[in-house]
Amino acid sequence: MFIRYPYRPQGRCAKLAGWLVKWGKTATVREIAFNRGPFMLDVNFVKSALPKSGALVLLVAEGETLTGDLLVELDAATDGTISRSFAAAEFKGKAGSTCVMLAPGAGLSRVVAVGIGKAEALTHREAEEAGGHAAALLMREASATVAAGGLSASLAAAVAMGAALRCYRFDRYRTTEKADEKPKLAKISVLVASLAEAKAAWVPLKATVSGVFLSRDLVSEPPNVLTPAEMAERCKSLESLGLKVEVLGPKEMTKLGFGALLGVAMGSACEPRMVVMHWNGSDAPKGKKAAKSQPIAFIGKGVTFDTGGISIKPAAGMEDMKWDMAGAGTVVGLMATLAGRKAKVDAIGLVGLVENMPSGTAQRPGDVVKSYSGQTIEVLNTDAEGRLVLADVLAYCATKYDPKFMIDLATLTGAMIVSLGHEYAGYFANDDTLATQLFGVAEETGEKLWRMPLADCYDKQLKSEIADMKNITGRPGSAITAAQFIQRFVGGKTWAHLDIAGVAWSSKDTATIPKGATAYGVRLLDRLVASHYEA
Amino acid sequence: MLKFRIGAQAPKAQALAIPVAAGAVLPSDLRAAAEIAGFTGKSGEACEVLSPVHVLLVGLGEAPSEGAYRAAGALAVARLPAVKRLALDARGLLPSHAAHFALGAALRGWRYEDLRTQPDEDAGRLAALDLLSETPGVEAAWHVAEAAWHGATLARELVVEPSNTLTPDGFIERLAPLEKAGVNITVLKRRDLEREGLGALLAVGMGSEHRPRLVILRWPGSIETPPVVLVGKGITFDTGGISVKPADKMWEMRADMAGAAAAAGAVYAAALRGSPAPVIAVLALAENALGAESYRPSDVLRSFSGKTIEVVDTDAEGRLVLADALSYAVRRHHPQAIIDLATLTGSIVTALGHHMAGMFTNDPALAAHVAAAGEAVGERVWRMPIGESHREAVNSDIADLRHCSPERMQPDACIAAAFLREFVEDVPWVHLDIAAMDSIETADDMHAQGPTGFGVRLLDRLIATRFEDPHRA
Repeated sequence: MFIRYPYRPQGRCAKLAGWLVKWGKTATVREIAFNRGPFMLDVNFVKSALPKSGALVLLVAEGETLTGDLLVELDAATDGTISRSFAAAEFKGKAGSTCVMLAPGAGLSRVVAVGIGKAEALTHREAEEAGGHAAALLMREASATVAAGGLSASLAAAVAMGAALRCYRFDRYRTTEKADEKPKLAKISVLVASLAEAKAAWVPLKATVSGVFLSRDLVSEPPNVLTPAEMAERCKSLESLGLKVEVLGPKEMTKLGFGALLGVAMGSACEPRMVVMHWNGSDAPKGKKAAKSQPIAFIGKGVTFDTGGISIKPAAGMEDMKWDMAGAGTVVGLMATLAGRKAKVDAIGLVGLVENMPSGTAQRPGDVVKSYSGQTIEVLNTDAEGRLVLADVLAYCATKYDPKFMIDLATLTGAMIVSLGHEYAGYFANDDTLATQLFGVAEETGEKLWRMPLADCYDKQLKSEIADMKNITGRPGSAITAAQFIQRFVGGKTWAHLDIAGVAWSSKDTATIPKGATAYGVRLLDRLVASHYEA
Repeated sequence: MLKFRIGAQAPKAQALAIPVAAGAVLPSDLRAAAEIAGFTGKSGEACEVLSPVHVLLVGLGEAPSEGAYRAAGALAVARLPAVKRLALDARGLLPSHAAHFALGAALRGWRYEDLRTQPDEDAGRLAALDLLSETPGVEAAWHVAEAAWHGATLARELVVEPSNTLTPDGFIERLAPLEKAGVNITVLKRRDLEREGLGALLAVGMGSEHRPRLVILRWPGSIETPPVVLVGKGITFDTGGISVKPADKMWEMRADMAGAAAAAGAVYAAALRGSPAPVIAVLALAENALGAESYRPSDVLRSFSGKTIEVVDTDAEGRLVLADALSYAVRRHHPQAIIDLATLTGSIVTALGHHMAGMFTNDPALAAHVAAAGEAVGERVWRMPIGESHREAVNSDIADLRHCSPERMQPDACIAAAFLREFVEDVPWVHLDIAAMDSIETADDMHAQGPTGFGVRLLDRLIATRFEDPHRA
């Protein structure tokens, strides 16, 4: 899907944008489709039969290396090449193990065997990983056939989803890459026993993959391109999926009294935005007479670049701060997913979009700002800006929409990385039911979570000498005190906070996530909705 | 040590602390003063009345628990620093509440004066407590609380003592009270450690002229079950070794033996109250110093378990001494459970701050009991994960394991726990990283400034509630 949108840059950004537009004319930077036609793997399902040519993926259960009609047939057709190769490579079908056979005969160019462990215990997540492992070994093939006839329709669709997720690539700024350097895989055909079921299972998964890709694109975009205004435009364009999108600019936010968010934005020439995305997918009667339904709400921190402001960050690694909008990126991807798969739920997504810059107009350490909630905040460190943005957006969401629950996501603290590393996001919740639901879907989707504590003793550390609170505490427990800070703005609503600082970006390839933006949270929260909140 | 007495009268006391639940009706002679002061009995509130007798009302909050009484006792001592002899009004209280009221006061009244030649004018003066109560059962309840108090006091005195006198052997000398209480003490010296092959502990301790020791404290108990084993990190001073620490705040490293002190204190408490449970503590004592015999980053050590360990950073020495102590505990004492305590990582301080210790486990059921015990005594813990990535971080290129990751911004507390797990085999195990909990920088209503004895009361409660039932499945 290609979407063109009006773009009216202001101030310093106008200069950058002017340059971009100029570049755009030659390198088509402006002509970026978010639903990336070429890179969304084309998936179709066909009746189980041995292909006559091309690449073939075999999903092999542990200890069953040569069972199943298709495998036996293939082994016979290749004069035993498959069984000899398995023996030579000591391939036994262990989960995550692979075996690649080039030109094995029977007209095939390549056979990729992927172990799936014990067949009867195969989970959705493991099926995705198998698909991902296979895709990584097929990048030189234009298309491939995946033999998933032995799997249920939903697991076969999961294999396709894993393959699609692994094929993501952010290459819109590569202008000199030759065609033969690019990965070729564009299409897979999945052999299944039940066509109709597999196709039906794929529909929502495809929407999820699109949502994940949208989120990965947003996070990968450089900060001179993805300014708050630009990101808001991209949210606006999601109206084509059936979302209702409101964009609030500095004027509207000033009128509302978003002192905390606007304080962060003050130093940048790029204007801030807040975007509210509405998805009304429930069957609840609409209109004036209908009882008011409480939506579920997702809120994202969207600092499109975080220099730290006047409390400026050290130079080393500062480039990573382009993904300080990953929380917002996740919320946008999630809303696109819900709309894309027509989820039966009323959900809203709110993102607070700002750039945190040092300048003559920037907020200073020591400033006191008045938040939307009316509470005052002493800003002691301008680099603890995420919580200031969230404070206003959460308080606004709680007041205006009376949500059933609010879940916020933010690349909030370095302390969270020192606490849990890059395997788990830390989460905080004021409600045990929501916490348990989140933990459950985290296990299922592989987007892991670990609960961290909230307690009064941490909250007390926020005491300010001159305002209602200060925005930082010392380093000890600082991911927790950040959560305590945010909790002061949730207006007593059921709420969870996901600190995704350690998981928004991956420094290495994993089965279904190529190195780079992970879109962490899109699948987790989509599953949360699907499992617990759809009528 | 404070003097303590229980009785109906306290004629020599200088002041009386009265605990008051929120909304409780006060005696008429105190009602006016309380009203003027705005005292309502909320927790943390206190109201001092000087005449006709010196009284301090202390708030308990609503639905008073043992914890609320401990807090009230502590608050009384905090607010009456000049009082030498304080009476605690426990008349009519449940025995356990009375005991915890006294325990809170006794713990808050701790101070350390052994090394002063002149008294500290600003320090609290509390020297004696009178617990006013005639309720049957108060004596027995106090006997239990008192054991925990003595255990915590032993641990605090070990933690506060400077490292020039509290060497590994100095630590052992201070365990004499345990022997008197019926604890059997075995010390493995350098030759024993070499013979037994505790290569990790030896490596850490060899940079110092005060050689490393492994101490086994054995309380036999009376029931026929495998023992519960407490393992403590006892680095009597930690310079960091060749990977030397920055000078700033290095003096705090005299407390790097707080885990061993807590384990010793818990065994002492078990002995003093005659616990039926067999309890063993294995203390790994060493000084991590810079010396010609110091171990180096990149050395490979052979641990007692037989596993080889590549050294990445000599300042991650705690997990090395614990590795040997844990394997030794597993192989020689066949425990039903192991709990280790260590001031192990800076990472846990960043993660949880100074309010909770980090807890890691291979046995969620045991962890739940530890957490419940901690909650009950006011020594809180929070469970943290050992994930695949944490385990992967201790893979070595040339040895069975390395003991930490060389990269920056690592979840080192989780990584350290993943490393330790390699040495506990299949024994149910809980690891408590108490790096943020051993000492308190500034006194508050609840805590005296200085060492806390964190872990002693938690372990004592855990033993009492979990390991003393001979019929437990």
